Amino acid sequence: MNGRLLLSVDIGSTYTKAGLFRLEGEELRLLGKAVRPTTVDDLGRGFAEARAAALAGTNLPPGAVPSDVPVYWSSSARGGLKIAAVGLTPDLTLSVARMAATSAGGKVVRAFSYELAADDLAELESVAPDIILLTGGTDGGNSRVVLHNAVRLAETHVPAVILYAGNRKVRDQVKAALSGRDVVTAANVMPEVGVIDIEPAREVIRRAFLERIVDGKGLSRVAAAAGRDPLPTPLAVFELVRTIGERVPGWEDFALIDMGGATTDFYSHTESFHGGDAVLLRGLREPKLKRTVEGDLGLRVSAEALYRSEAPFFESRLGTGGPAMADLRAYAGSVSRATDHLPSDERGRRFDALLAAACVRASALRHAGTIQRVFTPQGGFEVQRGKDLRRVKNLVGSGGYLAGLTGPAVLLEACAPDAADPDIRHLVPEAPACYADADHLIPLLGNLAADFPAAAARAAVAGFKPLRPLPS
Amino acid sequence: MDAPRIVLGVIGADCHSVGNKILDAFFTEAGFHVINLGVMVSQEEFLDAAVESDAAAILVSSLYGHGLIDCEGLRQKAVERGLEKVLLYAGGNLVVGKTPFDDVERKFKAMGFDRVFPAQVDLADAAKLLREDIGARRG
Repeated sequence: MNGRLLLSVDIGSTYTKAGLFRLEGEELRLLGKAVRPTTVDDLGRGFAEARAAALAGTNLPPGAVPSDVPVYWSSSARGGLKIAAVGLTPDLTLSVARMAATSAGGKVVRAFSYELAADDLAELESVAPDIILLTGGTDGGNSRVVLHNAVRLAETHVPAVILYAGNRKVRDQVKAALSGRDVVTAANVMPEVGVIDIEPAREVIRRAFLERIVDGKGLSRVAAAAGRDPLPTPLAVFELVRTIGERVPGWEDFALIDMGGATTDFYSHTESFHGGDAVLLRGLREPKLKRTVEGDLGLRVSAEALYRSEAPFFESRLGTGGPAMADLRAYAGSVSRATDHLPSDERGRRFDALLAAACVRASALRHAGTIQRVFTPQGGFEVQRGKDLRRVKNLVGSGGYLAGLTGPAVLLEACAPDAADPDIRHLVPEAPACYADADHLIPLLGNLAADFPAAAARAAVAGFKPLRPLPS
Repeated sequence: MDAPRIVLGVIGADCHSVGNKILDAFFTEAGFHVINLGVMVSQEEFLDAAVESDAAAILVSSLYGHGLIDCEGLRQKAVERGLEKVLLYAGGNLVVGKTPFDDVERKFKAMGFDRVFPAQVDLADAAKLLREDIGARRG
């Protein structure tokens, strides 16, 4: 038999997925996969079951898979990687701190600007983040507020890792103020006004996850069994998106929407600003690779909140105040409690499609920037804020519902038809080709992306199912 | 000591970028650490940048004649944001029409600006004043 065998496992909050791959040259081929429920009380049990099932599910003869097949794995179980972001001003360091946290695969559970107050500290203790990302001030800039915040954080009893990535000039003072606490440092996320430098903080978050947080999540036994440390699942996906964008021709500009029961993640790989005559960028220049996490957009746990926040969208599709709206509301209420509900009738399927459309649309509108026409004494100009997704050529849906799509309609809601008004245009994708991650390969290949980037990227794209409109 | 940090930009809906680039190059050469926000800068952007960088001064340019209305309230907002000590300079074609410069200067000083400059000025003089003002405020 030729080629190396590799096993990849993802421990999700509900399901643990495993896939056995064979690497032949630059090709990764899926030989077998399995899904088992995540065993929250002992994550290792579900892990072992999924792994055994994936190995058993192949057509390989018994004994063909050596017992020491390398295992790559990720986890988003037990709430994933929870990060509290602390910045100075909301639009500058706090905004960059959020970017660093989400790009590292974390979920921003709380965000604070300016001086931390007693209430904020109490809130921090109640959400119990894994990491507190403390930023503020450019290098050589404001130091008063970060020092104040370091002193306040020293008073709390949050058992979190504190990552300082603010004004470099007071790094030693911040460390001294936090002595005795679990402190790590990274380069300032915003060394100069408007300059974003999140890679060092991302790397430290990744290491902190491995070295300090894996234990607390009950993952260390799995790590011992696997012989390798895990990645946070969203980080595995983030790295796969990067690899695809950098290595697969025709996929330089693409986006991926990963929608679950509680949250919707939007990843984009495309240049954020193209300049040109008479177009000005205001605010931060966003990175080429960006992830946003929407904790209020999801098909099940978040359905009821979604019904309320996106009511105008639902009304535009179902009519205002009619029986259909009341019916949708009842459906959203019931599935937000029965989170493992799968629709068995036409009504349920239609409502799920509508809820999914709302998540896709809202997550795209939040991820994308805007362009606004302004008239000045020197003539008309366009002012861009945020990221331009108009060049996104390919759009991929993943996660339970989107992976099962058979047509592009739900994903095309990312183009947010009717959202533009005469003064403001949303920079959403214009007419992307749509795909579904039908074989649920994204996190699994993401785990392999660091060691086998070209093969993982190609296998992912080859596995995407094109979603073509039905002939009318 | 570190080079004094100054925030520079053209306020409001004003897109005149040439003077802005000249100021950036000149003050950088003169030993200041320039945080240049470019053109069409809002008051909030000036203040955010000054807060994060702990700037000693904000230099506001306005070339299109709407400077008075664009700059109104900047000092008060700076105080509210904890920038009681930041120096505020304004310069350019601040007001449309033939208003005598003395009147323009009086109006801007009444709004809390520390120095006001006409459209034509020797930048070496401006840099000297800026250095003195920063020294005095720190003193």
